[in-house]
Amino acid sequence: MENKKMCLALFSGSLDKLTAAGVILSGAAADDMEVDVFVLLQGARAFKREVADDPEKLSMAENAHLKKEFMESLRVLKVKTWVEFFKEAKALTKVKVHICGLAGKIWGGEKIEDFVDLADDICGIGAYITSAQEADVHLFI
Amino acid sequence: MTTEELQNLHVTKSVDARGTACPGPLLEAKKAIGTIQAGDIMEVLSADEGTKVDIPKWCTKQGHEYLGTLEESGYYRIFLRKK
Repeated sequence: MENKKMCLALFSGSLDKLTAAGVILSGAAADDMEVDVFVLLQGARAFKREVADDPEKLSMAENAHLKKEFMESLRVLKVKTWVEFFKEAKALTKVKVHICGLAGKIWGGEKIEDFVDLADDICGIGAYITSAQEADVHLFI
Repeated sequence: MTTEELQNLHVTKSVDARGTACPGPLLEAKKAIGTIQAGDIMEVLSADEGTKVDIPKWCTKQGHEYLGTLEESGYYRIFLRKK
């Protein structure tokens, strides 16, 4: 049976939504889905090398005043960081992370080397639309 | 399977995922299933309420045979047979 495909548009670069994306990727990995992640505007900043692993540089999409409590709960529950979720999913199934070229430029990232190793390539919007058209599951976060 | 049948199963692989929250147990199961042979029985120990729903559904999608769940003190033992 051919593997199901997921297209995940990651617009957000916030800690809470990145964590949600990581959990969803884990579920997709458990099901051997093939996933294309398209990192759009705000998301691209989170994938910058100097930002990704530093929660201090990332905000919350909701309940910003509870960031400290949120982070502490993740720690107590032994929840992986969003970067760890992405790494694990990539190790378990076919996950490709595409950085939107425009988004990269907005945050000063011209080349793929400007982003963490999770990122596979820099792409245009056409690649996202094609992936969304072909996917069994399409999510926008 | 009855509770007694589940308790007497010969388990090849026991995955203790009680230390992790969702999606930890599902991913632990996913990783462990690759280490056993077709026909072998695996149990997943999880204290996460969602796992007892996730694993049976995962079995259906992956083709493994879900055998049943035992509720222990503070955690679940979820049994399956690899396809």
